[in-house]
Amino acid sequence: MPKNDVTKAPRGSRGGLSRRDFVKKAGIGASGLALSGSFPALAQAAPADTLRVGFVSPLTGPLGGFGQGDPYILSIARKKLAHGIVIHGKRYAVKIISKDTESDPTRASQLAKELINRDKVDLMLSTSTPEVVNPVADACEAAGMPSLSTTVPWESFYFGRGAKPGKPSPFKWSYLFSFGVEQFAQAYISMWNGPVKTNKRVGFLLPNDADGNAIREHMVPLIEKAGFTTIDAGPYEDGTTDYSAQIAKFKAEKCEIFNTFPIPPDFAVFWRQAAQQGYTRMVKIAQIAKTGLFPSQVEVLGSLGYNLATGAYWTPTFPYKSSLTGLTSPKLTANYEKATGHQWNQQVGMSLALLDGGFAALKQSSNPKSKAAVAKALSTLKDTTIIGPIDFTKGPVPNCYPTPIIGSQWVKAKPGSKYKLDLVVTDNADDRHVPVAAKLKPYNA
Amino acid sequence: MIWLNQIINGVLLGGYYALIACGLSLMFGVMNIINLAHGDLAVLGAFLVWLICEHTGISPFIAFIAVLPTMAALGWVLQRAILDRSLRSGILVPILSTFGLAIVIENLLFSQFGADSRSLASVMGSLSYDSWALTSQIYIGKLAVLIFAVAVLLLLGLHVFLKRTALGRAIRATSEDPDTAELVGINARAVYATSAAIAVSTVAIAGLFLGMRASFAPYAGPAQLIFAFEAVVIGGSGSLWGTLVGGIVLGIAQNIGAQINPNWFLLAGHLTFLAVLIGRIFLRELLAHGMIPALLGQRS
Repeated sequence: MPKNDVTKAPRGSRGGLSRRDFVKKAGIGASGLALSGSFPALAQAAPADTLRVGFVSPLTGPLGGFGQGDPYILSIARKKLAHGIVIHGKRYAVKIISKDTESDPTRASQLAKELINRDKVDLMLSTSTPEVVNPVADACEAAGMPSLSTTVPWESFYFGRGAKPGKPSPFKWSYLFSFGVEQFAQAYISMWNGPVKTNKRVGFLLPNDADGNAIREHMVPLIEKAGFTTIDAGPYEDGTTDYSAQIAKFKAEKCEIFNTFPIPPDFAVFWRQAAQQGYTRMVKIAQIAKTGLFPSQVEVLGSLGYNLATGAYWTPTFPYKSSLTGLTSPKLTANYEKATGHQWNQQVGMSLALLDGGFAALKQSSNPKSKAAVAKALSTLKDTTIIGPIDFTKGPVPNCYPTPIIGSQWVKAKPGSKYKLDLVVTDNADDRHVPVAAKLKPYNA
Repeated sequence: MIWLNQIINGVLLGGYYALIACGLSLMFGVMNIINLAHGDLAVLGAFLVWLICEHTGISPFIAFIAVLPTMAALGWVLQRAILDRSLRSGILVPILSTFGLAIVIENLLFSQFGADSRSLASVMGSLSYDSWALTSQIYIGKLAVLIFAVAVLLLLGLHVFLKRTALGRAIRATSEDPDTAELVGINARAVYATSAAIAVSTVAIAGLFLGMRASFAPYAGPAQLIFAFEAVVIGGSGSLWGTLVGGIVLGIAQNIGAQINPNWFLLAGHLTFLAVLIGRIFLRELLAHGMIPALLGQRS
């Protein structure tokens, strides 16, 4: 059903079946999630020495996978900030108000307005897909609210919201650090020129949606320029249930490299049919993006999921420390897996990096209670987060800083592992500080 | 050869559509209810099978034996507790209540299982992608053939059941006119509840194959609904064999569309659906009023 109507149920379903779940969630500190916003009176009466930070992300709905780690990340940030934060010698109490967009862009926009007008936040943070970040950033631009975001291809954030190449940035308040199409291209070219020898013919399966068309327009030419022959099976609609036409084309064109940016359920259907029709047996490198971000999306493929290559925006082997919490990547991973029982995912690191960057901006501003001062601090923000350095003075376009895509591969977990799959780093063209753990294996190895 | 492969795959895809559409068609035919929770019930069935497989490691087909009666009981309760009551309040209320039900199912699944996508393919070896290679260009998927065969058998079984058994006759009579059926001693409420139980059981079968063929997540239901709905309309609402024909027509139209232009997969299906719908309305006018008024859209 339309996503916006899906919303009431988590509250309504709290009794009976999901009570245990609810108590568990509340126990790990996500209680602010359900309770935040219920004290508007208190909000208005907030003392001048409290910093209020909005955190908008998708926790439920089709994008809920991105938000899986957010309650945990917020809980460690809140714990760290329980006694406030000292900026220019003054101690401020900190309140992080988190909101769930329920995967609905309209609701994301509403929530942002609520946070600005009712909760009177001093800084807005948002993450995970253009459907969350773009409406929030737009609301912040309109209201003059400093805003920092992540996990949206920076081209979608910048050009997708109306900025023009070569023209001055139309944005004064909203900033983003994230990977983009260029980072994908760089990582892929390096990976495809690596240890697995191919005929350099790349088959692209790109849907007719915002991401698919951005890749078609901006990335495919870069791949072509790097000496590969590209075969685009043509735009298809999300939700397609049969791919025999595309598969026949990839087979006829002998594409030994395969690349796709589909929505996850479509890929499961496509890849099984590709196996059925004999295409997967001739593929040497199968490179997937957008799907395969989370282990469950690869697990559903069974043995067809082993050796799929992908690009990661954070892994537990990143060599950086969180500037807010001091956690290293391996420590964060271990704590997360222990506390939640879930295998780590890339967004866990990225969400923490967003908090790292946001609080670094507050610290670097001349006055964290002044919106103009915080926005100014964002425009020159320099910080080393858990996913690596960000520096808004050095982006390809104003308001954006590109973070790396690290070539990696899903492999069968070692015997004795708690999980079915491991993601290992096989290439580091975008950031040489991330250690390469293994050589890329051919898909059919 | 490529075209032949496309058509074969289209026919097999049609079998899958018929399977998901069967329960929808049945509920509409008997009770006049358009069940908007149909896709979500299929996803629920898939989750139940997955849950058993995950805990016991048995084959999904065996797990399904336990899930089938559960889903049938659920259908029965659903009819008694929700749909019966809403049916009394006119035509819109049942649609709205199934809409609400869909939301409840989606969010209950989310709160229990989280956002992770799941599939049954990992517990059934290589069946999800095994195939017979007829030539170098024509491959026939074993699972697709299995789904098609199950769809045909299910529709055949339902057909025989409705035509030949006392209960089947009662269902048909009630679908024609529940009040008159009650006059001759049929308990319409019981018949409705039984039909709902049967319909939801068929949805469970659809869910089983959804889980094997693709992947599913708590919010995956609505995407299943649209194809089922189109198959029902193309085949003629309430007709079981029509549902199979509708599914096949839809599958072939989509695959031929995709061969001409990959972007036309969904479009070709939707256009076929629209053409059939308009054609049917036009035909009815034509039969009722003659050629000229039908063309002009006039009612005499």
